Amino acid sequence: MRIIGPDELIFGVDNISDGRAFLVDYGLDETDSRGDEGGTFEAADGTAITLRRRDDASLPPPLPTATLLRRTIWGVEDEATIEAIADELSKDRDVVRTSDGMLACKDDTGFEIAFRVTRRRKLDLPAEMINSPGAKPGRGPNIVGANEDAPAKPRTLSHIVYFVPDMDVMANFYIQRLQFVVTDKFTNTGPFLRPQANLDHHVLFMIQTPPYMQGIEHLAFHMQGPTELMLAGSRMVKKGYESFWGPGRHKFGSNWFWYFNSPLGTHVEYDADMDLHDGDWIHRETPMGPEQAQMFLFENVEKWMPGGPPGKKD
Amino acid sequence: MGVPARRGIDAREVTAPLCRLEDLAEGKSRGFDPLGEGRDTMFVIRRGGRLYAWRNHCPHYDRARMAWKKDEFLDPTGSRIMCFAHGALFEIDSGECTLGPCLGQHLTAVPVEIRDGQVWVTGVYEPGLRR
Ligand code: FES
Repeated sequence: MRIIGPDELIFGVDNISDGRAFLVDYGLDETDSRGDEGGTFEAADGTAITLRRRDDASLPPPLPTATLLRRTIWGVEDEATIEAIADELSKDRDVVRTSDGMLACKDDTGFEIAFRVTRRRKLDLPAEMINSPGAKPGRGPNIVGANEDAPAKPRTLSHIVYFVPDMDVMANFYIQRLQFVVTDKFTNTGPFLRPQANLDHHVLFMIQTPPYMQGIEHLAFHMQGPTELMLAGSRMVKKGYESFWGPGRHKFGSNWFWYFNSPLGTHVEYDADMDLHDGDWIHRETPMGPEQAQMFLFENVEKWMPGGPPGKKD
Repeated sequence: MGVPARRGIDAREVTAPLCRLEDLAEGKSRGFDPLGEGRDTMFVIRRGGRLYAWRNHCPHYDRARMAWKKDEFLDPTGSRIMCFAHGALFEIDSGECTLGPCLGQHLTAVPVEIRDGQVWVTGVYEPGLRR
C-alpha cells in the first residue's frame, strides 16, 4: 500500500490564539485562518497542523485522556491506495467517506485516523551546504555559513509518536493491515515504522504506556539540516518557548532533534538529516535508555563566552 | 563520586527574594530561577490571596519542564496547572495530577514565605537542571 506519511494532524484546543502564536513562531504558515475557530498551519510542502476548538462539532470525539490530538490524516499516493485501504479495513470496522474526500476510521487502539491522496507538493530545495576538507566545497568563496538572518522553515511533516496501551496491537495494525515496515526497535517500548511509499527511518513510533496516558507523545517536522534546526530552535528559545529536550542527535534514525513544549499539549520537534532505508535493511533492537536514545545531547542555557560578557555600561 | 555539580551550582539557601508580592498578578503563574541556572526551575501561582509554589518538574519524566512559554504554567481556563509536554493537568493547591500521564502523582512543593512584602524561598534549594 502506497502510504507516504502523516499529511495533517488535527487538534482540539481551548485557546486558538496561543496555538496559533506557537505554530507561526515555530515556522509554519497559516493558510486557512478561521479566526477564533481555528486555522491550518502548513510546512513548505503543504503538510500541516490544524487547530479547532475543543468543542467543534466537526471533530471526532476525543480520547478520555489528556491528549488534544483528535485525528491523524495519512497521505497516500493515489486513489488506488485509498481503495485498497478501504477494502482492507472495512473487513472489521466502520470506514467512512467524509465530505472532504477522506477515508476515516479508528485504528486498533482507538486513535482516529483518516487517509487521503496526499496534499504534499513536490519540493525542490537545496540541502545544507557545508565545506569539508577533501570534498568539493558546499559553499563557494565568500558565502557565509553562520547567517543569523537565514530563514528556518519546516519543510515537511516528518513523524508522529503515540503513547499506546498495547504496542503489539498497535504495531500489528500498521504492519499487517497497512504494510508498514519495522526499521528498528526498542525492546518493550515499540518499533520504529515506515510505510511503503517513504524511505524515512520512521514516520511512526510508539511508546507502551498505561491506558490513561494514551495520546500523542510528539510530532516532528523535517528541517533543511542541523544548522537550520539550531537556528530555528534558538529563535524559539529567544522568544521564551520552553525547550524540553535537545538539541542532540538520535542514534536510531540518526536524525538531529530539538523538542519544545507546546500549547497543543505535546512536544513539537524539529528534526533534520534522518536515515533512509529500503527493503534490504535489517532492523536493529536494543533496550531503551538515555544511552540508546541519543548519540549526543546539548542543553540550551544562556549564552556564555570565556571571560564573560563585556561589563555593563551605564 | 567525582561528578562535579553542573557549572558549580550546589544546593543552597536562596539569599535573594524571588520578587515582591505585588509583582505577582492574581490568577497568574510566574517562573523563577533562584540559583541562576539559566532556566526557570520553579514557579509561583497567586490565587485567592494565596501563593502556591511548585518545582518546575513534571512527575511524568525526570526533571521535565512544564510551561509552554516563559511563565505559562496554567491551562487556558486558568483553573489548573498544565504540563505542556504531554498535557497533564494538576490541581493548583494540592499539586495532584488529575488527568494525564502522571495521574495521581504530585508536584513537589517549594516552601515560600512573605517577608516585608517580598517572596522568599525558605530552606535549602536543589538545582533543577538535568545533570
Ligand atoms: S512530562 Fe509532563 S505530561 Fe509528560
